[in-house]
Amino acid sequence: MLLNFDRLGRWKLVLLGITLLTAAFLLLPILFIAALSFGSSQWLIFPPPGWTLKWYQELFADPRWLESAWTSFQIAIIVTVLSVLLGLVTSFGLTRGRFMFREALKALFLTPMILPVVVLAVALYAFFLQIGLNGTLTGFVISHLVLALPFSILSITSALEGFDKSIEDAAVLCGASPFEAKIRVTLPAISHGIFSAAIFSFLTSWDEVVVAIFMASPTLQTLPVKVWATLRQDLTPVVAAASTLLILLTVLLMVLVAIVRKGLKS
Amino acid sequence: MLSRTDARAEGSKIPAHRLRFTDFDLTLPALGLLVLFFVVPVAILLARSVSEPVPGLGNYAELLGSSTYLRIFANTFIVSGLVTLVSLLIGFPVAWALAIMPSRLASVVFAILLLSMWTNLLARTYAWMVLLQRTGVINKLLIGLGLIDKPLPLVNNLTGVTIGMTYIMLPFIILPLYGVIRKIDPAVLQAAALCGANRWQALVRVLLPLAIPGMAAGALMAFVMSLGYFVTPALLGGTANMMLAELIAQFVQSLVNWGMGGAAALVLLVVTLALYAVQLRFFGTDRMGGR
Repeated sequence: MLLNFDRLGRWKLVLLGITLLTAAFLLLPILFIAALSFGSSQWLIFPPPGWTLKWYQELFADPRWLESAWTSFQIAIIVTVLSVLLGLVTSFGLTRGRFMFREALKALFLTPMILPVVVLAVALYAFFLQIGLNGTLTGFVISHLVLALPFSILSITSALEGFDKSIEDAAVLCGASPFEAKIRVTLPAISHGIFSAAIFSFLTSWDEVVVAIFMASPTLQTLPVKVWATLRQDLTPVVAAASTLLILLTVLLMVLVAIVRKGLKS
Repeated sequence: MLSRTDARAEGSKIPAHRLRFTDFDLTLPALGLLVLFFVVPVAILLARSVSEPVPGLGNYAELLGSSTYLRIFANTFIVSGLVTLVSLLIGFPVAWALAIMPSRLASVVFAILLLSMWTNLLARTYAWMVLLQRTGVINKLLIGLGLIDKPLPLVNNLTGVTIGMTYIMLPFIILPLYGVIRKIDPAVLQAAALCGANRWQALVRVLLPLAIPGMAAGALMAFVMSLGYFVTPALLGGTANMMLAELIAQFVQSLVNWGMGGAAALVLLVVTLALYAVQLRFFGTDRMGGR
């Protein structure tokens, strides 16, 4: 009765109401920012008195916004590639291995996911001050990689655990080398795990702000750091335009994931 | 791993194909990365908390002995608790509805949940800064409806942080709860009805108890995540209700006090790990995840 939607009676309306209100609550800021980025008022009045593209023009006219976006993109791409490669190798070791402390090792690999990011940020900042990596691309890549790798390991190990190893063994029996069998049989079979590892790694790096605030230098900063620094001064609609572009990228990635999932199912 | 070291030591006597990687070796690159850029830096930071400016536990004594810092600890727990509670109150009915809704409607709500989860944190926080300001939409709407005369202070205070953080944590509560409620056998509730339970009795005595593992796991995760949040409290909170993560950042960035920064980091670390151990002990790792 309580788990049958049609037999809930009056409760159905209450549950439905709360759910739709919550959905609206979750959607509201996203739509609001997108709308404001086209609004003509500098004071973020809603509904705006008129519509304009001038905030986007201002965004694209300022080389610092473009530079920080480019920096973010470069870092995210390098992190994605490294995170997937490392994640793949590590996951093979973790799922196939029969060594001591395997579970403990797995837990260790996931800890960057659960520790407060600010602790890692401060610790890496201190460490990088000593070895001169603050404000460098390498410093950004390393710190984002530490945060992204757990997502890769999690996605790829779960895909590997769901893969029947005897298929790989069969390929070896048919004459493939163990390496060839992995490349031509196992990798295609776990490609959905690799794909989500890549998406998660990219987004982890692209959206990361806490570590980046500490890593950034006046000459090298990521897009979220630029947004953060601008926000600390004022609530200019240029940030609304930048945020809208960030949201757009998220929507594009989500659509991509949905398409790939659908493709895998059929 | 020992066998490979032996093989190396024996050198050329061993045929090349015996020098293959063992499974443990495959984890070494990632392990190296993690030790060098995660374990070591955190350990150095904690070591500095007991060695700077003078060796000893002075930093901890100062941290736990000052009313200013104790207020920040208390505020961190109050905000996290409040956010968890509100998320749970909103999240339970939503997860319940999602578990039994017609699938097309549910998939729309899911898409919205995921979109909000994946949307850049700063973009979302910025949206709330604008929405909640004195001349913002929410205040204007309330005045327009005649509910209030003067704009409410909704931002740079506890209200602002709670709204912004609840917004972030809701999906993390709803998704695990949804998983748990979905697995409950409807026959159990039919049995309750057959035995004469009315809706309320069935809810309070059957459905809620069965959903408790999901609620506890989700709540614990939201609480732990909230404890360490930095960006949202910094932008939506006021100076009077600073949170622990901000304190750590301030010690390091503006005060350049590594001893105190390290000590505050250790407090946050210990609380997080302790709560995480509880989570592992009772609910396992399978409900972890999300960003």
